[in-house]
Amino acid sequence: MNRLVLLFISIASLLRAQDRIEFNRDIRPILSDTCFLCHGPDKARRKADLRLDVESSAKAKHEDHFTIVPGKLDQSELIRRITTDDADDRMPPLDSGRQLTKQQIDLLKRWVAQGASWQAHWSFIAPQRPALPPVKDSAWPRNAVDHFILAKLEHEGLSPSPEADAAALQRRVTLDLTGLPPAPSETSEPYTALVDRLLASPRFGERMAIRWLDAARYADTSGYQSDGERWMWRWRDWVIDAYNANMPFDQFTIEQIGGDLLPSATLPQKIATAFNRNHRGNAEGGIVPEEFAVEYVVDRVDTTCTVWMGLTMGCARCHDHKYDPLTQNDFYSLFAFFNNVPEKGKAIKVGNSVPWIPAPTTAQQRELAQLNDRITKAEAHLTKLEPVIAAAQLAWEKTLVEEATPPWTVTRSLQKRFDKTEDFDGRRFVDGGDVGDFGYFDKFSFTAWIKPHAGKDGAILSRMVEDQSDSAFASIDEGYRVFLKDGRVQLHLTKRWLDDALRVETEEQVPPDQWRHITVVYDGSRVAAGVKIFINGQPQKLRVHLDQLNQTFATKQPFRIGAGGGAANRFQGQMRDVRVYTRALADEESTILAAAESVTDIAKLPVSKRTDLQATKIRACFLTEHAEPAQRAAQSELNTLREQRAVFIESIPTLMVMEEMPVPREAHILKRGVYDQPGERVFPGVPASLPPMPADAKVNRLGFAQWLVSEKNPLTARVAVNQLWQMLFGTGLVKTSEDFGSQGEPPSHPELLDWLATEFMRDWDVKRLMKLLVTSATYRQSSRITPAALGRDPENRLLSHAPRVRLSAEMVRDQALAAAGLLVENIGGPSVKPYQPSGLGKELSGTDLELDHGDKLFRRGLYTFWKRTSPHPTMTAFDAPGREMCCVRPSRTDTPLQALALMNDITFVEAARALAQRVMHEMQTREDRVCHAFRLALNRAPKAQELKVLLADYDLQLTRFRSDPASARSLITTGESLRDNLLDPAEHAALAALCGLILNLDEAVTKQ
Amino acid sequence: MNSFIDHSLQVTRRHFFGRAGVGAAALASMMNEAAGAAGGTPLPAKAKRVIYLFQSGAPSQLDLFDHKPGLAARFGADLPNSIRQGQRLTGMTAGQDRFPTAPSRFKFAQHGKSGAWLSELMPHTARVADELCFIKSMHTEAINHDPAITFFQTGAQLAGRPSIGSWLSYGLGSENHDLPAFVALLSNGTGNPMDQPLYDRLWGSGFLPTKHQGVKFRSQGDPVLFLSNPPGLDAGARRRMLDDLAKLNQMEFAEVNDPEINTRIAQYELAYRMQTSVPDLTDVSNEPASTFDLYGPDSRTPGTFAANCLLARRMAERGVRFIQLFHRGWDQHTKLPKQIEGQCRDTDQPSAALVADLKQRGLLDDTLVVWGGEFGRTVYCQGRLTPDDYGRDHHPRCFTIWMAGGGIKGGITHGETDDFSYNITRDPVDVHDLHATILHCLGIDHTKLTFKFQGRHYRLTDVFGKVVKPVLT
Repeated sequence: MNRLVLLFISIASLLRAQDRIEFNRDIRPILSDTCFLCHGPDKARRKADLRLDVESSAKAKHEDHFTIVPGKLDQSELIRRITTDDADDRMPPLDSGRQLTKQQIDLLKRWVAQGASWQAHWSFIAPQRPALPPVKDSAWPRNAVDHFILAKLEHEGLSPSPEADAAALQRRVTLDLTGLPPAPSETSEPYTALVDRLLASPRFGERMAIRWLDAARYADTSGYQSDGERWMWRWRDWVIDAYNANMPFDQFTIEQIGGDLLPSATLPQKIATAFNRNHRGNAEGGIVPEEFAVEYVVDRVDTTCTVWMGLTMGCARCHDHKYDPLTQNDFYSLFAFFNNVPEKGKAIKVGNSVPWIPAPTTAQQRELAQLNDRITKAEAHLTKLEPVIAAAQLAWEKTLVEEATPPWTVTRSLQKRFDKTEDFDGRRFVDGGDVGDFGYFDKFSFTAWIKPHAGKDGAILSRMVEDQSDSAFASIDEGYRVFLKDGRVQLHLTKRWLDDALRVETEEQVPPDQWRHITVVYDGSRVAAGVKIFINGQPQKLRVHLDQLNQTFATKQPFRIGAGGGAANRFQGQMRDVRVYTRALADEESTILAAAESVTDIAKLPVSKRTDLQATKIRACFLTEHAEPAQRAAQSELNTLREQRAVFIESIPTLMVMEEMPVPREAHILKRGVYDQPGERVFPGVPASLPPMPADAKVNRLGFAQWLVSEKNPLTARVAVNQLWQMLFGTGLVKTSEDFGSQGEPPSHPELLDWLATEFMRDWDVKRLMKLLVTSATYRQSSRITPAALGRDPENRLLSHAPRVRLSAEMVRDQALAAAGLLVENIGGPSVKPYQPSGLGKELSGTDLELDHGDKLFRRGLYTFWKRTSPHPTMTAFDAPGREMCCVRPSRTDTPLQALALMNDITFVEAARALAQRVMHEMQTREDRVCHAFRLALNRAPKAQELKVLLADYDLQLTRFRSDPASARSLITTGESLRDNLLDPAEHAALAALCGLILNLDEAVTKQ
Repeated sequence: MNSFIDHSLQVTRRHFFGRAGVGAAALASMMNEAAGAAGGTPLPAKAKRVIYLFQSGAPSQLDLFDHKPGLAARFGADLPNSIRQGQRLTGMTAGQDRFPTAPSRFKFAQHGKSGAWLSELMPHTARVADELCFIKSMHTEAINHDPAITFFQTGAQLAGRPSIGSWLSYGLGSENHDLPAFVALLSNGTGNPMDQPLYDRLWGSGFLPTKHQGVKFRSQGDPVLFLSNPPGLDAGARRRMLDDLAKLNQMEFAEVNDPEINTRIAQYELAYRMQTSVPDLTDVSNEPASTFDLYGPDSRTPGTFAANCLLARRMAERGVRFIQLFHRGWDQHTKLPKQIEGQCRDTDQPSAALVADLKQRGLLDDTLVVWGGEFGRTVYCQGRLTPDDYGRDHHPRCFTIWMAGGGIKGGITHGETDDFSYNITRDPVDVHDLHATILHCLGIDHTKLTFKFQGRHYRLTDVFGKVVKPVLT
């Protein structure tokens, strides 16, 4: 059967023998797919020194014959080789896995016979603006687009379809420009006014962002192994804003690739560069970081080249490209642009990996400015009060001589204090019980007075596996401890001693057999820079031994004083007043705690004889407890504000961004693409087969970005308009939107593509281009398919009718929520975790995502939390790309899993019952309600025969639910949204079931 | 029946799925369509389906299969440099001061006519040893779990390529009318419950159309996601809804003539059939007590490896093409002896039972069974070494897997390692070779099963892979 069809196609093309063969359209694809592997750009693989990708080589003499002699079939070795029966001479060789069809051989023969005219690969030549082709039906075109489409249709003997009816068109364009269905009130508006309104809607940015997020492999987790959360949503919101502000595409490009390098780059421009940090990051224990550092850069090159140039650059990582004129040298020259980020090959397990910036929202920036302002004022106020306070303190101190004040110390967040002086002999320790249960996100501080014996190392305090038999899974050393080694105070935070731990120590040593006060502070930041150690109140210089903490070090061990990490590591000497605080103490507090004398004793010393420690302590005591209320208030106000600011700063979202190292890393060709096989050194540059960068351009990412959108670049505008075309028409003019190389498909309408590209390059105005496309007669056609069209052009590449395309995963969701009136439309913010079946995370990794509730259940699909190793199952079922790598051409399949999800996923069941409730509120009769529900989903009224089926279905359901109230109750209470309990349960359930049916209609999930 | 059927316009695949059971014929048509008669004769298929028992985390070959009696005398001695040869180590042990030899604590003995060596941890496997082909010379390139398991599943270390099951779904189509062609089943090890995670991509379809992705069968909630009707809608109501849905969709088809509509109608019918066929498959209540005795006590507990082995047999009976079990818990950097005992308790009896059960039902001849992890473990100890307690780091340079059934010679051992189970001394088999061999058993020439993506004709085996002929029947 299939063979038969093929035969007809071949005959059809043979019948058109008078047509001129066109190299790029007809011949290059054959040569590329069949011959280039051995006779193409890759010099390493090339056989017989023959290139069929270069005209001069293909027409030159090789040994004793010419490969191609224009016009002479019998003298062309190529023709002999592809037609001979001699198995040794036959091309392509039998064992190559490539074969030519009879039709392809025929085309090659006709091409040689016609003179074997050559063309450079179309996409590497800058687009020229073509004239509009003449058309017979001059009344049909509405704009330039239509001239190209109609001319081709007429050439093929097909005619365009009539315009779709207004309601269908309204639904189509509303879905296309906003990703949502039209609201019922949006009727009878002139089409262009409708388009303008949709383009101005903030929903436009959300709709456009979704596909850009696919291209940018945006996700909310890092993607490898344990797949921890990261925070990149500030970039996602930047994209939405950029589309809504109609940022020109050249600026959109420059800011995302090189925004940080723009002169005095703004925060949004830095945020934009997160595009190139969206790749996955590997935090698995034991990886070789250098290996993955290379993968990140490779990912940037691949993604950037696919998204902007439609080049499969990754093919040139290990060897010269097999099909396109791209060398390995070209690949690593691009690599060199993206290789200078001060990053680590090993990513952080949970959170953002360096480099990252705080990326406050506009509202947060305002709030922070206000806080800073209030702090400045509070400080000024306290300074003004200083003379008064000093005098008051002196007066108060005098009273202490007569009557001692109760002992005073820092008690806020003091979880536990072990007062007693204890002796440690290297064997005994104090079991402190369940105290200090801290993990790596917790802030904490320890303080102690210690008097170590000379030359004895040992643990001062710990919560650490002490004995191998303590735990079935952890190893000794797991946990935290403060340790004394050669008199130096160390902090160890350990998951795995060798490569998953944080270890710092003081440069200074504490002397043996003398009392010293130590304070160790950890701020929960998981890095060595977040640790402070004080000896006698003095901040210590720290040496960092390891700064690779990547998992929590929390254990179920008790708090031990004088022990930690095994019997060999016990403390020897004395300790007293060991304290555990559940926050990071301020520097001043470390000072206060190191002053051993009581406030009363300090008061007895003359002011000039007091140490700084003592002066600080007595001032703090006075200001906290004894000063006049106004003075105390001034101090406490300042303290409160400072803490508020600290808390606020921690709430500011961060974002991984691009930064440039002051001295760029050396880049080398990597032999076979392997990270530890550097070859020849390379420098940043663009592929040699493309126009060069201007002589005065900066040779960095910014210069590269400017080159991408320069007039001379033949690819960027074509690739960009093709993606927009694909978004609206389902298939690009170049079907292989990810590959504009010789293995890609040539454009169906090359002149139209070039016309659009040149038009776009005039101002890079995305909204203007979208408007041009959606107001074309081509776009406005009916999607009804005629048998003639189906026979002649089953893929509808000629566009004799509008395409029918299944909605994207996001649109399927958003439409249901919108029709139901459940959709919560807030733009941006952290990603949300709507309903998903429980246990999905557990079966993979042991832990489930914690799902959201309330409004967060009803946000648009683009805000759904994207966990790369376990994406939302309904998203995946409806073909959402996995976001592990760049995707510019989403697929559309049709599977039973989609049917199951639409019928049974709580999201859609709840949407159906909410839709039912909505129409019950808005309409009174059974028929009006059914029609209204249908209209909300499909933007049209049901036809008479449809209505008959719908009403019969409803009546049957109603009877059933009347006799089974329990079932009715179950169905209409599905989901968390509130139900109007005044509605008749059976009617509501019957209508809910019917709405479920409507949301499952083919038409409902199709844009047509 | 065209259930998981092709309808994506972007598919450039050059073949159609045949009816159920077409198998190699469908493949032949794929090869021949573009190539005329020269496309290559299909290979004879020995196996119709695969059950792959993936042991995630990497089991220690030294404590299960690869008997090295000479190590006992070297307890605690440093691994000689002549053996290590400066090969790269993971960051978890690269910084260790010493690399002390850790002999296995477990006793080994020979079993069956073939005299295969197995440790005392695998008494049940020992009983079916003559059915198994042990490959002791597996090796891989990756030294960490994510890239290594991704490599085993897709032929590439980085995410993005189709998994082996999806290649088979694409290449061979489905062998049944109302179940997916490719199913994944997961279980957690009791040896090390906090072990390495799994990822959806391991049974994903990469750049192949989504319909080829593995369908995960679950032990809690619906066996297949969203299989059950919502509360309040019973099967009768669903049937009625589907009838009306079909009526309305047909009206639409009459209006717009899009063949895609008929495909959608068919997909809803298949979904409906799955609502019956899947519960029928997962309901083991009619299995006789002898079945549970065979697979062991865990087989009565849904979600265990044993229960999944039983389900795998039931899927094989129903024509599921590629059934893959993933059992977590083998990543034993510390406390290996204690943890591995738990893992073997989970897997030994049911794995052996599956082989025996398939055999007694006449299914082993055309079912290929594979058992193994993503790499091996080091002979040297990670962490503290005592005679009874040790840990082992990742070791990609050699490890053992076994295969059995369709197309594979039972009762043989292929390949050899050195006295330290550190390097391969004979007949190395890499991951691509294993893939080529699996495809071969199913009648597929691994160089010819291709899919064009980003301008390249991709293969499961990339540009590598040799069929391991000595293990074939």
